Amino acid sequence: MLDVRNLCKHFGGIRAVDGASFTVEKGSITALIGPNGAGKTTAFNCISRTAQPTSGEVWLDGQRIDQLRPHKITGRGLSRTFQISRNLGDMTVLENVIVQSKVDGLRGLFRPAFSSAEKDKAMGILDFLGITRIAYEDGHNLSYGQKKLMDLAALLMSDPKIILLDEPAGGVNPSLLEEIIDHIRALNEKGLTVLIVEHNMDLIMRLSHKVVVMAQGKVICSGTPEMVREDPQVLDAYLGGVLEEAA
Amino acid sequence: MTATHLQTTSASAVVEARRAHNLKLARKSDQSRATWFPLVLLAVLTALPLLQFTGNYNYLLHLVLFTASYAAMASGWNILGGFTGYVSLGHAVFFGIGGYVSGMILARYGVSSLITAPLAGLIAAIIGYGVGLITLKVRGPSFIISSIALLMIARILFDNWGFIGGANGLTLPTNSLSAEWSKLPYYYAMLVIAAVSVWASYRIKHSKFGLGLRAIAKDEIKAESAGINTRFYKVLAFALSAFFVGMAGAVWGEYLTYLRPNIFLLIGVSANLVLMSILGGKGTIAGPVIGAILIVALNEIFVALLGASEINILGTGVVMILVLMFFPLGIVGTLAKSGRLPRLLNWD
Repeated sequence: MLDVRNLCKHFGGIRAVDGASFTVEKGSITALIGPNGAGKTTAFNCISRTAQPTSGEVWLDGQRIDQLRPHKITGRGLSRTFQISRNLGDMTVLENVIVQSKVDGLRGLFRPAFSSAEKDKAMGILDFLGITRIAYEDGHNLSYGQKKLMDLAALLMSDPKIILLDEPAGGVNPSLLEEIIDHIRALNEKGLTVLIVEHNMDLIMRLSHKVVVMAQGKVICSGTPEMVREDPQVLDAYLGGVLEEAA
Repeated sequence: MTATHLQTTSASAVVEARRAHNLKLARKSDQSRATWFPLVLLAVLTALPLLQFTGNYNYLLHLVLFTASYAAMASGWNILGGFTGYVSLGHAVFFGIGGYVSGMILARYGVSSLITAPLAGLIAAIIGYGVGLITLKVRGPSFIISSIALLMIARILFDNWGFIGGANGLTLPTNSLSAEWSKLPYYYAMLVIAAVSVWASYRIKHSKFGLGLRAIAKDEIKAESAGINTRFYKVLAFALSAFFVGMAGAVWGEYLTYLRPNIFLLIGVSANLVLMSILGGKGTIAGPVIGAILIVALNEIFVALLGASEINILGTGVVMILVLMFFPLGIVGTLAKSGRLPRLLNWD
């Protein structure tokens, strides 16, 4: 479904992503892991076009998307969350969610901000995530975990085909973590494709169908969680071993 | 077992309290606005010229007209500066464009600005759209500087463009009404423009577009990744805000009966729009109007008390500083945040 081909992103002399290629199959949960600085988040940014890739291609459902502006990519059905929750303060949780719903054409721009159908849909999503009780709370006043849930709710509002989650479990307490795992699994069972960046190995091993391991901007290994766990290259990368240059 | 029981009851009590709080907030967002108040205000102001039958109230009418023009422009400015978060110090340009477009049509073809004001607004909006495409690529201090640059470019252009009178300006024909009624057409026109601006900014704030603009003001990257075409939204907001400033400029030019770059293309005019919006409350509907009323009133009071010396400007400045010390988000903004906004001032 999502096909990343030879993606590169250079910051000056630093090659944050250096020719990474991987695919995400339709209906799967794919995890992108790797040590700090491996280029996972930068790869995410390039896919969602929050950052412009230096070179390489990204294909979604057979269409090339790396030339599009981010809102177009969201319109094509690829939505993402951010590692550090970027919520909109001075807007209620409900507004934060509804802002992500699709707007059609110039006429759509000037219709009321919330139609009752959208409000019902948003409340339905909040209910699914178990946070209807904070619907009218200001985005500023939320706890870290609530922000993560709100991000997820906002994501779902745009009816995505594939969601990119950047560390959904970062800084979240264990019981909320279980909740988030359940939500992701439930969404995946409904047919949503998930690409996830995470450091929590427990979550990765339990949740994902496929794991892609990155180190120093390159994909060093991909496969089922069991396969990846046994791979000597992965152990090397995580244990601080120097990766041999393929030459 | 008692312990767990206790724990569950207190947990559900917390959830319950949270839910009740949430319901309270929901009710509040639905009920607490007083949209009837601006309508009553408008009705009173519409009837105000009747005073002319009892004496000479030209000064009062002038003040209301002047305030209405600033209320219209500040509301327009607020669409870009308040909702979208792009502070422009160049909006005097659109004030000038509006004035000159209508003024030139009046001088050449004798068609009053009361008819051509929407056209002048449209031309200001088109130019605003073009300028926005270029300058809205940057934000924060860079955008402010670019807007000042726009003003300087326009000033040089207008000062040296012989066709529109250059630095000497242009004298416009006066209307044929007697002294006590001559202000009236412009008075009503400005009142209508102000009312339309406030109404439009209310409609914008409550539309998809307004929600998108507010998202852009908070976090542009998040807004873009939420599926909002941020570039188009921003440029459209710029054009709309130029539209209202241009319309006010059109009527103001004919009211003054002369056009000169050093009346219209002043950074002071732009600064006033910013000050009014910030004093009243950026991003609120009532804020720019309240700000316009307060600043015009303060200026008049201090001129009356201290004379038209430099000290009167100091007086206004001191009051502004004091207000902003206690109301950092502007009067309406701060009161709304702390939940103490009187319903009369809640037009959002």
